[in-house]
Amino acid sequence: MISIRLPFVGQCLILLLLLLVCSWTSLFSWSVITITPMDALHALYNMDKESIAQHIVHDLRLPRVLIGIMVGANLAAAGVIMQGLTQNPLASPSVLGINAGAALGMATVSTIAPWFGLLGSSVAAIIGGGIAWAFVMLLGSAWRGGNEHGRLVLAGVAISALCAALTKAVIIIAEDQAAGVLTWLAGSLTDARWQTFDSFWPVCVIGLLGAMLIAPTLNLLQLGDDNARNLGVSLMWVKLGGSFLVLLLVGSAISSVGAIGFVGLLVPHMARMLAGQDHRKFLPIAMMLGACLVVLSDTVSRAIIYPAETPAGAILALIGAPFFIYLVRKRTL
Amino acid sequence: MSLSTHNLSVGYHDKAIVKQVDLTIPEGKIIALLGPNGCGKSTLLKAMARILSPMEGQVHWQGKNLHGIASKKLAQQLALLPQTQPIPEGIKVKDLVAYGRSPYTGFWGRINKDDQVIIDKMMEETGITELADQLVSELSGGQRQRVWLAMTLAQDTPYLLLDEPTTYMDLSHQVELMHLLRKLNLQGKTIITVLHDINQAARYCDHLIVMKQGEIITQGSPESVLTQKLLKKVFSLDAQIHQDPIAKTPMCVVE
Repeated sequence: MISIRLPFVGQCLILLLLLLVCSWTSLFSWSVITITPMDALHALYNMDKESIAQHIVHDLRLPRVLIGIMVGANLAAAGVIMQGLTQNPLASPSVLGINAGAALGMATVSTIAPWFGLLGSSVAAIIGGGIAWAFVMLLGSAWRGGNEHGRLVLAGVAISALCAALTKAVIIIAEDQAAGVLTWLAGSLTDARWQTFDSFWPVCVIGLLGAMLIAPTLNLLQLGDDNARNLGVSLMWVKLGGSFLVLLLVGSAISSVGAIGFVGLLVPHMARMLAGQDHRKFLPIAMMLGACLVVLSDTVSRAIIYPAETPAGAILALIGAPFFIYLVRKRTL
Repeated sequence: MSLSTHNLSVGYHDKAIVKQVDLTIPEGKIIALLGPNGCGKSTLLKAMARILSPMEGQVHWQGKNLHGIASKKLAQQLALLPQTQPIPEGIKVKDLVAYGRSPYTGFWGRINKDDQVIIDKMMEETGITELADQLVSELSGGQRQRVWLAMTLAQDTPYLLLDEPTTYMDLSHQVELMHLLRKLNLQGKTIITVLHDINQAARYCDHLIVMKQGEIITQGSPESVLTQKLLKKVFSLDAQIHQDPIAKTPMCVVE
């Protein structure tokens, strides 16, 4: 494993700096109307009401960056928790079917059953993801723990395929809604506005705080179920609580920007390389890395076929897929 | 009197491995659980450590049902060293041993000075001090076994449940371990251990419990338990009982 051993605080500061630079760059780069780097700063603390550029920064770009940060942190934290709970290095929202389940939930609500929309699309995503996750855990007999790695991933792949097929069926049935659902399935920050931000941030803060609270317990789960129990961990409550947190984190992220994959798989492993195996350290590192990665992909997504946009989810898949292959080759599962 | 089972049946997938066992663990002794493979020794030990839930009957800790006790509190009373251990990736020896203190630390797992004293002491006792900064995954089987043992000891509980603690260890480390167990016993700990070596059990333990097919056949001091008839009945072994020339304990020699 590559080990870059900076002191923990140093790593945090560097990542925070990196995140600030990425966010700032994202605020002004690749815009049809020219925005200067200084415009981006002025819009934050001393806005000139006359300047269109600064209005774009404040009304469009800023919520987009903030939502990107939260989505990245959420998905990375969810990945860390899932890998900790299942003791499976491949566990992540996209591999274990939560993304596909949440997508199915969203698609069903926005096409077939709009009356459900009263409850909100977040709820639909959380319910869909939750059902898929429960099925995967049951099929993969994950509660027994131990050497069921292959089985859990197989169950995840099967459930994902099933959900994807159903989602397609739903789209075909309600064709007029298809375009919107498809954009959403690819995962894009294009439509991230202040309105989304307002409903997203409370859930995000609760989810991330919960993740930090569960971190020391995830350390003990690394020692195997028997040892964890022996050290006073109540396994059932940890697994239920952890699963709930995952659904909260993933559901809120997905309902805000769509099915962005690979962050949850990729980032925990990157964070481990940086900070080691102690969840109390690598979880916050993973959150910051995830935030950087999503903001960066969003920026790149505007650059690739400028002035049109590619979904950020597609960019992440482009980076994520080779890393996934690398992991599968490197690990003995 | 502290640890006892009452009509206890435990098993996996609806099949009872331990069948209606009534057992009271004599306090303050080193107790060996003996028996042929698959007789339910480990299963019984796991049930007493609350890793497995009873299918029938109860385990009592100080007169109360084990399953009514808070997890963290129980972890300060009973510590189990399981038979098979995972090989955690990227964890250093000293960090693994420190996890043994988690029943006592706050939820964030911060190690204070008192904890550190116990951790250092247990690493010293098990002879792994010089391995402190190595990764657990890089050690040999015997070294790793001693690291897990140190973690279990760092839990500093009055009762210790050990499932074949000598696994992977060379003979000198096995002997050292048995001496260490006696030392801990003299400090007041009750130790229940599954052992494969009957002679080791007879030499170093105070009380033997012999099991076969999920039931307890007999128990008592090594002298009273180890007989030719018992070895034939439980292990289907033709053996003679002699006196160990050094420890003066009974010793079996296979014919």
